[in-house]
Amino acid sequence: MARSITVLRSLGACCALLLALAVLLPATAGAQDALTVVTEPASIRMGTQYDGIDLKITGNVPAGSDVVVRFTGAPAKLHLRRKGKVFGLLWMNVGKVTVDNVPKVCLVDSSAPYTQLAPAAESYRLEGLRDDMKIEEGADSADLDIVHELLLLKESEGLYSENAGGVVLGPDEGGSRTFSATLPVPSALSPSDYVVQVMALRDGAVIGTASTPIHAELVGFPAWLSHMAFDNALLYGILATVIAILSGLAIGMIFQSKGAH
Amino acid sequence: MSLTTSLYLPIAGNSVNLLVILGLGGGVGLLSGIFGVGGGFLMTPLLMMFGIPPTVAAASDSNQIVGASTSGTYAHFKLGNVDIKMGLLLLVGGVVGGTLGVQVIKVLRAMGNADFLISITYVLMLGFVGGYMFLESLQAMRKCREPQAEAPPKPQSPYARMISNLPFQMDFARSGVKLSAAMPLVLGVLVGVLSAIMGVGGGFIMVPVMVYMLRMPMHVVVGTSLFQILFTCVNVTIMQSYQNHTVDFVLALLLLLGSSIGAQVGTKIGKKLGGEQLKILLASLVLVVMFKMLYDLLARPEILLAYMGGH
Repeated sequence: MARSITVLRSLGACCALLLALAVLLPATAGAQDALTVVTEPASIRMGTQYDGIDLKITGNVPAGSDVVVRFTGAPAKLHLRRKGKVFGLLWMNVGKVTVDNVPKVCLVDSSAPYTQLAPAAESYRLEGLRDDMKIEEGADSADLDIVHELLLLKESEGLYSENAGGVVLGPDEGGSRTFSATLPVPSALSPSDYVVQVMALRDGAVIGTASTPIHAELVGFPAWLSHMAFDNALLYGILATVIAILSGLAIGMIFQSKGAH
Repeated sequence: MSLTTSLYLPIAGNSVNLLVILGLGGGVGLLSGIFGVGGGFLMTPLLMMFGIPPTVAAASDSNQIVGASTSGTYAHFKLGNVDIKMGLLLLVGGVVGGTLGVQVIKVLRAMGNADFLISITYVLMLGFVGGYMFLESLQAMRKCREPQAEAPPKPQSPYARMISNLPFQMDFARSGVKLSAAMPLVLGVLVGVLSAIMGVGGGFIMVPVMVYMLRMPMHVVVGTSLFQILFTCVNVTIMQSYQNHTVDFVLALLLLLGSSIGAQVGTKIGKKLGGEQLKILLASLVLVVMFKMLYDLLARPEILLAYMGGH
C-alpha cells in the first residue's frame, strides 16, 4: 500500500514536471492557470435519498488539447474467490485471490476515442489500473487473467466504467478551451475520499494534469444508523430483534382481529 | 430513479427501490406463510440480484425472518397449529447441530474442499427432499381420486415399529404423535449441522423431516417450524450485528413489512389448500431452486471472480 502510494506520488511528480515543462515552453504552452478543474457538487453527501449522482466536471485546458477525466479513490485490499472447473464439469469456487490497492470506484471518460489520444492516456483507463494493483494471493492461477476478471466484476456492479467521447470541449479562446463532462457516480459508493483527475493531451503528448479531491460522506439518518451499527453493535442487534418481534406481533394482531368474524 | 421510491441503505452500502423490496418481502412472506419455511434460501439470492452484498443480504434476511416468523407463529398459534414441546426439542437439537456444523465447516475449509462439498450437499439435499416429496404427494393425490374402497389398515412399517420401541416415549398432543423425545433432538442436530454447512435457516429441510420422520400432520408442521425458526433467527441476528455489522435494519424492516402481510395471506391460503397440495407445491419450489443451482454449477460463469462471503 505504502509502496503504491509512493509510486502514485512519483507519477504525480512526473506529471507535475511535465506540466512545468509544458509551461516553460512558450511556443506550445498556454498560461500556467490554463489547467483547472471544478466539480459540481464539490462533495458528495449520502443521505436517505442518495441514489448515485451525476458528477459534473468542468474546467479549462490549454487550447487545442484533448481531455481524459477520471473519478477514482478509496483503494483497498480485496479478498475474492476464484471460480474454476472441478472434474472438468462443475463450476465452483476453487481458490482464494487477494488483490491489494484496488480502487473502490473508477470512472473514466474522454473527449476522443483512446486510439486517437497519446499512449499516455492509457494510464487513466481501466486497464491502466493493472499497474497499481498488486496480486498477493492466487497469482499462480496461470490460466486466469485476474485483473481482467476483477475489472469485469467491478464493471458489472457499475463501480467501474469507461467511456469515450463523453467529454465536451469548447472552442479555443486565447490560450485555452473549456471542457465539461458528467460521470455517473454509482449508488454503491463508500463514504471515503476520492479524487477527480484531468489529463490534457495534445499532439500525442501529455501537456498537463490537474486533480481535485472530492469527499463522500454519510449524512442524516444513514450516518446515524451506521454509527449505531458499528459503535453500539450489541444494542443495535438487540433493538433490531425486538423491533422485528414487536412489528411481527402487531401485524399478526391486526390481521387476526380483521380475520375474526 | 424516481426520488420518492429510492432509499439509501448505509449498512448494505447501496440504494434500493422501496417498492421492489416491499414486493420481494411480500412474495417470500407468502411462501413462508403457506409452507412454514423461512424463505432464506430464496431471499438471499434475490437481494443479491438487487445489489445487496451477500453477507448483508443473509444477515438482514435473518432479522426480517424474526418479524415474519413472529407474525406467522402468532397466526398459527391461534389456529392451534404450534407444537411447542416438539418445537423446543428440535430447537435444542438445532442449536447443538448448528454449533457442530460451524466447526465442520472450519475443518473442511482447512482441508480445502469445503465449497465443493457445500455445493454438492445443497444440490443433493434439494433434489432428494424435493423429489421425494413431489412423488409421494403425487401418489397420495392419485389415490384420493380413485375410489376409496381399498383402504385396509396398513401394517406397521418397520420404521414405525422402530420408533415406537425407542426409549423416552413422550406424548406430543398437538401433533397427535407419540415418540421418543430423543428423536426430535437427534433430528434437530442433523438439520442444524446441514443448515450451518449450507448457510441457511433450514426450514426447507426441517419441514420434510417433521412430516416424514416425526410423522406430524402438515398444518402443525408449518406452525411448529415457524416457531422454531423464530428462535434460530433471533440468535443469528444478534450474533451477526455484534460480530460482523452486517444487519441492515432498514432493509430488514422493509422486507418485514412486505413479508408479514404476505405471511398472513399465506397462512390463510395454506389453510384452504389440502396437505397434499401444500407438499407438492413446496416440493416443486425446492426442485426449481435445485435446478437453478445445478445450472449454475454446470454453466460457465460470466465472471470468474466473486467476492468472498455468502455462497
